[in-house]
Amino acid sequence: MSATAAGALRARPGPLSALTPWRALTILVTAAAVLGPLSLILYQSFLTAPFFDPAKQVGIGAYEFVFADSDFWKALGNSLVISTGMTLIAVPLGALLAFVMERTDLPGKRWFEPLILVPSFVSPMVLSFGFVVAAGPVGFYTVWAQELFGGAPWTLYTVPAMTVIAGLTHVPNVYVYASAALKSLGSDVEEAARIAGASPFRVAMSVSLPLIMPSLLFSAVLVFFLGFELFGLPLVLGDPEGILVLSTYLYKLTNKLGTPSYHLMAAVAMCIVAITFPLVLLQRYLLQGARKYATIKGKAGRMKELPLGPWAWFAAALLAFFVFVTVIVPVSGIALRAFVTNWGFGVNLSEALTLDSFRFVFHEPTHTRAIWNTVLIGTVGGALTVACYTAIGFASHRRNDGWSRFLDYLVLVPRAVPGLLAGLAFLWVFLFFPPLTPLRTTIFSVWLAYSVVWLAYGMRLISSSLMQVSPELEEAGRSVGASRGVISRRITLPLIRAGLMGSWLLVFMIFEREYSTAVYLLAPGTEVIGAQLVSLWQGGAIDIVAALSLINIILVGIGLAIALRFGVKLRD
Amino acid sequence: MRKDVIAAGLAVLAAAGAAFAQVPPGYPADYAQVVAAARKEGKVVVYSALDTKAAQPLIRDFNALYPDIKVEYNDMNSTELYNRFIAEVASGQGGADVMWSSAMDLQVKLVDEGKALSYKSPEGAKIPSWANYKDQAWGTTYEPAVFIYNKRLVTGDEIPQDHAGFAKVINSKVDKFKGKVTTYDIEKSGVGFMFVVQDTKYFPGIKDLERGFGATSYKVYSSTGNMLEKVSSGEHLLGYNVLGSYALVRAKKDPNLGVVLPKDYTLVLSRVMFIGKQAKNPNAAKVFVDYILSQRGQKLIGSDVELFAVRDDVEAEYTAAKLKQQLGSNVKPIPVSSEITEYLDSKKRLDFLGQWKAGLGTR
Repeated sequence: MSATAAGALRARPGPLSALTPWRALTILVTAAAVLGPLSLILYQSFLTAPFFDPAKQVGIGAYEFVFADSDFWKALGNSLVISTGMTLIAVPLGALLAFVMERTDLPGKRWFEPLILVPSFVSPMVLSFGFVVAAGPVGFYTVWAQELFGGAPWTLYTVPAMTVIAGLTHVPNVYVYASAALKSLGSDVEEAARIAGASPFRVAMSVSLPLIMPSLLFSAVLVFFLGFELFGLPLVLGDPEGILVLSTYLYKLTNKLGTPSYHLMAAVAMCIVAITFPLVLLQRYLLQGARKYATIKGKAGRMKELPLGPWAWFAAALLAFFVFVTVIVPVSGIALRAFVTNWGFGVNLSEALTLDSFRFVFHEPTHTRAIWNTVLIGTVGGALTVACYTAIGFASHRRNDGWSRFLDYLVLVPRAVPGLLAGLAFLWVFLFFPPLTPLRTTIFSVWLAYSVVWLAYGMRLISSSLMQVSPELEEAGRSVGASRGVISRRITLPLIRAGLMGSWLLVFMIFEREYSTAVYLLAPGTEVIGAQLVSLWQGGAIDIVAALSLINIILVGIGLAIALRFGVKLRD
Repeated sequence: MRKDVIAAGLAVLAAAGAAFAQVPPGYPADYAQVVAAARKEGKVVVYSALDTKAAQPLIRDFNALYPDIKVEYNDMNSTELYNRFIAEVASGQGGADVMWSSAMDLQVKLVDEGKALSYKSPEGAKIPSWANYKDQAWGTTYEPAVFIYNKRLVTGDEIPQDHAGFAKVINSKVDKFKGKVTTYDIEKSGVGFMFVVQDTKYFPGIKDLERGFGATSYKVYSSTGNMLEKVSSGEHLLGYNVLGSYALVRAKKDPNLGVVLPKDYTLVLSRVMFIGKQAKNPNAAKVFVDYILSQRGQKLIGSDVELFAVRDDVEAEYTAAKLKQQLGSNVKPIPVSSEITEYLDSKKRLDFLGQWKAGLGTR
């Protein structure tokens, strides 16, 4: 993308030069970064020992072991139940919230929108941990409930509880698609229904939501698929009860045989991919459908908000309940835990107040490094990532050849691999691929893994920016003789600048929140808060976990505040 | 003239003093060369399962003694420690100079596979013979496995004093202890697994205990910290086989947490240390190992680090000697030897895990 690359382009202009050197390079690097680690996992799954062990043999023993293990089937069952259940919760609720926010005159609703989106920007690890300290058996809210009513009507460490929490925290994923679709829908049909005497609820159920069915279907598949990737939530809430899901089963295999069983883990990972990859393809298919559908608009562009009348109370209660359960409860739990030494029945919190955890965090080089690295990977790393994604975006922008289609599918692949295992595969790459070995204990390793894992998400951001540039602007450039490189640099790139800034902010927040990918890459020098939390949680340093979680929330909050200030759309 | 003599004399004294600082008493004379080589290497890379915060006093003291040798201390859990070490050895990158882990079996396995450097430490004879494994690996601590309980919610004869008592308490008060008993997840925690294997040797009533675990739907964790937190908060009431070094430290500051050293027998774990065969800084590694085994290092382990000194000739708050005084012959240190790697054979391990699960009955 440099001057020389552009020069090379100028030498051989023309819209049909399919594989210019820099495009070939972009495709090659992307393919290597995506397929390298994945093929390593595939290879490992057909071995009997770690691939670097001289005693390894090729065989399907790993799959035989996994399929014969009753825990695997239990984990698969739980994953299915949780995924299905959370989809059934998240989709209707997300759709209703989107309807309320987009189509009705609920007072003060703009103030709520960032709050609705918060759960999708806070690390699930942090949220789950927040639920434990807030609403666990001796959580702050549980103890208060017991003092007030003599008992708390909830338990946290069960499959239904995990399903509800997972469902609620994935409402934003549905909300963003549903509200985007609702935005592009004219309000005339709704008004017609209102005139015919339908209540706002009836309008939502019979008119608006059926019209955005393709988007809802798409987000349903998305949520269902995310259910198979849940890791932080079942790790924190399910583990003590022995409730396994696929990803925690995989994590458990690390030690089940006493020594690392990479082949078993790889086999489980391939099973997960076998489930998720078809879902990713289905999603892609549905997304195309959803886009087509959304273009059917009403005549007039002007939106009219639906008067809610008495239903306003219902809508407000729904919103308040959602925000209370998914944001206020866990975040307040963490904030409290971060400032007390111990907690539980009969502990007077005001006597236990302390700043020790923060003092410790800021005195401990690994933790300060983790905070610094997390900031760095979000800001500088995020900018680099957006630059890379943009390069990939240009490699397929306005080209409809085989290479573009290849890239399209390629960027979807990492989406299907659980972050935990993607991280492990990257550790292997950094250990055994000589040109990269010196970089292993630098934050670069984590950055590369993050960038690859979030490739599909990022590419959607970039390509939606690119799509907004009308082709005639680029064609105008071409008609005066500009080469592709010049068009990209002088016309397209400046036009999507705002979109790229927005992508950067979203990538920043995603990188602040990410945790599972860095678990295996964690080493002195590569600490990030997310992975540090998993490790500290395993080690039981709960007060430090709380303090770091709070710091993490604050970092995300800063990103969110900046995004809101500059009017970045918090959605892709 | 006279002045010159004094100056020369002082110079000699100073040189002798420096040499004295480098070669501790009782060490072979050529030890100065090891220290010189170590100083040239300039650093020692330690992989350890003991968190950095706890190890801080040792690192600081080592640096006071050898300011030219920087300690690059990396803490991670014992499984990760093992995984990273074998991967680094296989890739020829030899990351760790010194490996220090509570997963005794994994450490011994690595030694048996020839991944450790042989080194006749001048301190090797000062530690108990069960803790010196072929001059390749050394047990450095003496950490008891204990019971923990919530002091506010568990009182009187509900506090188990021995293993049979633990089984009796939970079996006789299933309702009170339902969901409130905790121990290591032996599928995840190598240390927990090792303790249970030892229990089957010393405790004939282990089946009753397992039944009690099953009846009370016990809760399992992979780390000590989680168990301490949950028993302290009252979410759980009793903890079994908890690493005593951590428990006693927390109990000192936390008024909710009680600790019992089982009277019938107390298992003792010893953190195993060895030098990597591919160590890039072998001399610095030797100096570090010698320091940890030395009286000075051990005294710190028995005081500020709060892990119990393994050496008998050390005066400190936490020492093997004091524990032995308290419990007599009922302390059962897990030996640093090949026998503890028996259950690293995956078939044997899975059989054991299967039997353990069966012993719990319906959960």
